[in-house]
Amino acid sequence: MTLRTVVEAWNRFFFKPQSPVPIALFRILYGICASTTILLLHSDWLNWYGVHSWVSLSSMRQIEPGMRLNLFTVMPQDDRWIAAFFWVCLLSAVLLTLGVWTRLTSVATFLCLASIDQRNLLMLHGGDTFLRVAGFFLMFAPAGAALSIDRLVRLRRGLEGPEIEPRAPWAQRMIQIELAFMYFTSFWWKMKGHSWLDGTALQYVLHLHSITRFPVPLWIQSAVVLKLGAWFTLVLEFSLGVLIWFRRFRYPLLLLGLLFHLSIDYALNLPMFSWDVLTAYILFVDPSDLERWWRGLVRRFQATGPQRQLLGSAKR
Amino acid sequence: MSAASGNRRKKGRPGKAGNQTLPSGSQDKNLEMDALRRGAISAFILFHLVVIACFAVPTKALAGAKEMVLPYMRWSGLFQSWDMFAPDPQSVNSYLKAVVITKDRHIKVWSFPRMEELSLWQRFRQERYRKFAEVLPQQQFAPIWPDVARHIARFFNSQSDPPDKVLLIQFQSEIDPKAGKSAEPTPRPNVFYDDYLQPGDLQ
Repeated sequence: MTLRTVVEAWNRFFFKPQSPVPIALFRILYGICASTTILLLHSDWLNWYGVHSWVSLSSMRQIEPGMRLNLFTVMPQDDRWIAAFFWVCLLSAVLLTLGVWTRLTSVATFLCLASIDQRNLLMLHGGDTFLRVAGFFLMFAPAGAALSIDRLVRLRRGLEGPEIEPRAPWAQRMIQIELAFMYFTSFWWKMKGHSWLDGTALQYVLHLHSITRFPVPLWIQSAVVLKLGAWFTLVLEFSLGVLIWFRRFRYPLLLLGLLFHLSIDYALNLPMFSWDVLTAYILFVDPSDLERWWRGLVRRFQATGPQRQLLGSAKR
Repeated sequence: MSAASGNRRKKGRPGKAGNQTLPSGSQDKNLEMDALRRGAISAFILFHLVVIACFAVPTKALAGAKEMVLPYMRWSGLFQSWDMFAPDPQSVNSYLKAVVITKDRHIKVWSFPRMEELSLWQRFRQERYRKFAEVLPQQQFAPIWPDVARHIARFFNSQSDPPDKVLLIQFQSEIDPKAGKSAEPTPRPNVFYDDYLQPGDLQ
């Protein structure tokens, strides 16, 4: 392998133009998850982030010092301002979902989510982290190039044709890398303990009262099944981190990952975690497959003109 | 659109000639700009791959590098740790309560929402309290205990008999995976914070 082949592979991976439909679909799912996260917090906006919240801004800065992208540090410490901030966050996430002023709203949504996370770091789960990190790279992606109001406006003004121009997917690749990295480091962390290796980990997880959601069938709670489940988790997390980059394993792994997260969502009360992570699965679907499925749907539902124009037919 | 033009959007009308109509000098300049842009983006990508790996790969070998990249990760919001249920899941069940003692020596008890006692919808909405209560007793978060005590004291604020002292108590019981849930030992209390409120704390 020469430096030249490495450079060529790098350029192909990050810069070879491809349809922006996957990143546009991701934008929609991401926006829905971001909006839901903000809405779920609604009744506690001021309890968690207000002037007299559980943790004051100064205490948070004391335990987590350093410069941070945190809009709470620059906004007046007044509950009306803080409530208004959350409404702006929600509006921004909704507009991002619809693809209105996509670049601007992706930046605004990232700033909002980052600020919300930074303001109280004690109550975050993996889903919040993933939304924040993926949101960072989404700001750089051509997320409004398809399936967006922005595109409809450009079509109406004659600035674009019915075909969607392929774009360099480097920002999409970074979100994909982040997802794979998440699984791989989760695997790595688990390998540092002993309970995942000896297969007892899930027995503890299912005994955590505060985290259980729906009742798990008794046969699943048997030591043998839970042991297999723990080892399956290790294998799957490693595979989703590494083998997902190989085309032949990709779709089976995505399906297993989907079932894995649905099982987590059934058994454990971790609101939004699985959904936040699953949003990025769409980025691993080949645009040509997406297009084929979309055309099948269009044929089935006899789509009208504007629906076809939203997606267009991506150049390859 | 060339690969090198990145995410840049064409502004012209569809079908209009792009670079084809430009003189060769302009073409060279555009190619140069595209190469520059691609180089800058590559540097951006490489930088982020390195800092994310240094920060989040859980190995002591990268401890020094993690310290170096920490300020940027904090600032940018890219900080991350994927250690859910790892290296080992918790082996204890725990919950928090607070005891508020008033000036007239009345005792009031406040419980953090316990997920197992909530409806499905409430559990979904209030899950943040579970996470908060789980990490709050850790010593590294001692500076925020007075904030939490004040917040709880405000729930019982009254002109005639205001709160005077707050205790934060964590109840824990060891999980024995082989025993049934009914055989779980009685949770043991641990007072991790107790202090008097200061004048003005309840304003």
